[in-house]
Amino acid sequence: MKRRITLKDIGTLEGQMIDNQKAGLSALPAPLDNPDDEPGIKELTASQKAKFDISLDGVSAIGLVKPQTREEEEEFVKKFISGLKKLLSKENNWTFLQPLMLSLENCAKCQNCSDACPIYTESGRQEIYRPTYRAEVLRRIIRKHLKKEGRLLSRFTGSDIDLNYKTIARLAELSYRCTLCRRCAQSCPIGVDNGLITHEIRKLFSQEMGIAPKELHQLGTVQHLKVGSSTGTSPKALASFIGFIEGELEERTGKSIKLPVDKEGADILLLHNAGEFISWPENIEAFALIFNAAGIDWTLSSKLAAYDAVNYGVWYDDVQLARIAARHAQAAKDLKVNRMMVGECGHAHKAMLVVSDRVLTGDLNIPRESAIPLLEDIVINDRIKLDPGKNRFPVTLHDPCNLVRLSGIVEPQRRIIRKLCPDFREMEPHGVDNYCCGGGSGFAIMDNANFADWRDIVAGRMKLKQILCAFQNVMSPEVHKYVCAPCSNCKGMIRDLLARYKLTEKHGIHYGGLVDLIANAMVDIKGQFINWEAP
Amino acid sequence: MWLLLLTYACLLIFIAGITWRTYKYASLPVHLRWELYPVAHEIGKAYGGSYLEELDWWHRPRKINLLGESTVFLREIIFFREYFHSNRRYWSFVYPFHLGLFLLVAWLVTLLAGSILTLSGLSVSATTANAWLQIVYYCTLISGIAAFVLGIFGTIGLLVKRSLDEDLRNYTAPIDYFNLAGILLIFLTGLLFWMIEDPSFSAARGFIQGLITSKPSATGPLITITIMLSALFLAYMPFTRMVHYVAKYFTYHKVRWDDEPNKPGSGLEKKLQALLDQPAGWSAPHIQAGQSWVEQVRSNGAPDKADK
Repeated sequence: MKRRITLKDIGTLEGQMIDNQKAGLSALPAPLDNPDDEPGIKELTASQKAKFDISLDGVSAIGLVKPQTREEEEEFVKKFISGLKKLLSKENNWTFLQPLMLSLENCAKCQNCSDACPIYTESGRQEIYRPTYRAEVLRRIIRKHLKKEGRLLSRFTGSDIDLNYKTIARLAELSYRCTLCRRCAQSCPIGVDNGLITHEIRKLFSQEMGIAPKELHQLGTVQHLKVGSSTGTSPKALASFIGFIEGELEERTGKSIKLPVDKEGADILLLHNAGEFISWPENIEAFALIFNAAGIDWTLSSKLAAYDAVNYGVWYDDVQLARIAARHAQAAKDLKVNRMMVGECGHAHKAMLVVSDRVLTGDLNIPRESAIPLLEDIVINDRIKLDPGKNRFPVTLHDPCNLVRLSGIVEPQRRIIRKLCPDFREMEPHGVDNYCCGGGSGFAIMDNANFADWRDIVAGRMKLKQILCAFQNVMSPEVHKYVCAPCSNCKGMIRDLLARYKLTEKHGIHYGGLVDLIANAMVDIKGQFINWEAP
Repeated sequence: MWLLLLTYACLLIFIAGITWRTYKYASLPVHLRWELYPVAHEIGKAYGGSYLEELDWWHRPRKINLLGESTVFLREIIFFREYFHSNRRYWSFVYPFHLGLFLLVAWLVTLLAGSILTLSGLSVSATTANAWLQIVYYCTLISGIAAFVLGIFGTIGLLVKRSLDEDLRNYTAPIDYFNLAGILLIFLTGLLFWMIEDPSFSAARGFIQGLITSKPSATGPLITITIMLSALFLAYMPFTRMVHYVAKYFTYHKVRWDDEPNKPGSGLEKKLQALLDQPAGWSAPHIQAGQSWVEQVRSNGAPDKADK
């Protein structure tokens, strides 16, 4: 029998701590119930293995390059300790110190949170993915190496973790094996939040050591601030995207609608996840269609950083979070709009409406709202003509964690779907008890080395099961089925899940946003707005 | 007399320790919002909705239900509902354990009440003619016995579970066994002194009277051991994670349910502005050393420098 991984192993075990073998994964329901069809996580090439530190689980999310000398290793440890001290200081980490201290000092280690974590359960209960594992490692490092408990006392308190390069490198990777969905926190009777501890570990690495996945930092927030969007879209490129979208909208619906850009004094500045411009232009089109029909006074911004609602800082770096939040608010201020409104982007909801609510002060403190209640108002109060008969296909709703559990926007989207989709079926569990799509906290856009394999096969496994269960009685490919995901990152993740397991091709499962369903039900649009031919 | 002095000292350390711990958490700066839904003070949104579900919420008055919030909090504290629903086996030990501790506090309160009444010249006993005094007597008896029995059952259960269940054992340090064993010892000696030395808890009441009047009372060996262990444990507790009952107030009310919006011109906004004016001393290349948060935000950082 294999020896069980212990906390101490993180700093002592040679080689890889675990193998993400197919055998350990939880079983999938029909039609994916043949384990031989499981795609598996590809092994890295010899050069990748030589370059990246994959000593945690054979997967590299952050692309951490191994130090070449002992001095480099020592420097690495020194920087980590310096960051840890800052993480625990009022001066440097006022942003989250109170919740962090409460979570660090009061865990009863009852493991009630373990079963709440889909990554832990679906991986076959791999010890290192347990929500308490990384949190407890951090606690023990603090006790032994910051509070300087002596040898005897640290044995008594269980703080027997070596602080070396190995421990820290693995901890850095491990902070990207949690989607920050905070289901674990919800299940803790004391209120300890292991998701927050993961968030804080990520911050330490980013804010002190400059270590973060390139998709979140260099290609994410840095590019967002410098070029204008995490997609790399510049203001000039945005103009051509908008032209394309207007053209496509006319082609698709016969309606000639001009997307308002930089309209000063508009009621609403609408912020989309810029991923929509590139991957799901139909989402932008549907918003324009609905807002235009309902007579909403709105605008987009073409200002650097303000045409992209995303704020990847919310996952790993408070400074980057604040910078982007301020750019969004500045654009709203410059356009003299009454309010900012977030489109279908889960983490932008949490970033703009919840977390950075306490970053924006003075003239940047401008009203911020979700677009979903406005959509609800339009649909429920019949401000546009809709025919639910046009949506006669099975629909299930994915609840983005950032929207439901972390922002409390749960019912408006349901009221819309209940009114417009006669064959609506809830996933179980749903609402604030939902499961993450597996792409949360940046995973959906991260693809270093073999990380995307791990993400789809392990992190997204529970969502995959939920989708399959929702459609069990209608698996025939002739029946179009729709997974509604009112969040760009979740859509990206679900797209990848459906593609990896060939579920669109073989079983007719499609995905899309909420506005797509509303636009599809509009009576003055001929045929279907949803393009069922799209992959 | 030494027992009285020890008890006074331990009580003082306990009060100072709890005050220190509470102050420590309470004095931490206001943090960015990190709530988790359901938020118990939202009205009509038990499914987990927030005011962000309302159109134009920014301009509407904020209504919160503090009674509802307290009810949810108390229900969790009194019944351990989260464990009951998600981990019934663990609940079957952790709940009696905590119920034993709650009843122990209730027992001490009834002992205190009985002592004050006795000092006032009234007789707290089973045979007294006054029904109220009888109630105090029986409350003391029942809460004390129930506390010891439930506490012993729960503590043994937790000790066994922690030792046998690998999921728990791997995360349990010697200090955790020590703490549980200490509590078990207190419950055990308590039960023994009731059974052998003090079936009516009159000696226990006598000790509390002694505490009030600073006059030592006659105590047997078992009650002496119980009091000594309890006092020492009381002094030790604030410095361990066993004070999670203090933390729980903050984790729920100041983190999980703290959804107070930062409205322009509010006191909260002023506090935040002061914090944003502080320097952010992080060292990564994209952060400018020594600059305040406001200054950091104005700049784009140093994106050309090589963050990894």
